Amino acid sequence: MKANFLFPHKFKKIGWIIFIPSVVTGALYLFFEVTPDFLIAKALFIGDNDLFSMTNNNLIDEISGILIIISSLMIAFSKEKTEDEYIAKIRLESLVWATYVNYAILIIGIALVYGTNFLFMLIFNMFTILFFFIIRFNWVLYKLKKAEK
Amino acid sequence: MKNSLKVERAILDITQEELAKRTNVSRQTVNAVEKGKYVPSTVLALKMASVFGKKVDDIFTLEDDDWR
Repeated sequence: MKANFLFPHKFKKIGWIIFIPSVVTGALYLFFEVTPDFLIAKALFIGDNDLFSMTNNNLIDEISGILIIISSLMIAFSKEKTEDEYIAKIRLESLVWATYVNYAILIIGIALVYGTNFLFMLIFNMFTILFFFIIRFNWVLYKLKKAEK
Repeated sequence: MKNSLKVERAILDITQEELAKRTNVSRQTVNAVEKGKYVPSTVLALKMASVFGKKVDDIFTLEDDDWR
């Protein structure tokens, strides 16, 4: 019962504080191709021929992507104020639900979307499983809190 | 599974909030258990019974449905 692999409660707030700006920078890059010069750096990458090569690269997408994932994990998997067995059950159900929804969308995408749009969809699909989980989990908690009153 | 939490709470004159505090769970959990929407773990059932100074059987009882 003790090891539940969750972050302390306060990480939820920290997660949101990191999440919002990283989504903004990520979206700026993806939709408007914003690439600020100060983020250009020599970066190590795993290439086709050499295992590790160096290249000039703008780091906005790397930084945004990594921060979105880390912050989403913090939002999704921080303990609630009182993390008890019923909350754990809702957590599990929401995770199952989010996995189904995420792959349902991917299946539809594989069948119907081609070319660059498919690549875009794959990029979104990397993050959406956590988004769906966060939305559904917090929605259920919200409904429970409301139902009491 | 049926329960008599509401009655027991009335006897002790404590709110769901108070019961939640004493058993170390959230108020939503007490509410869900009381409404029969959530079956508590053995530990939580024992804790709730001990708050009311009763046996688990006195508060939680099986229904026919539980055998199906």
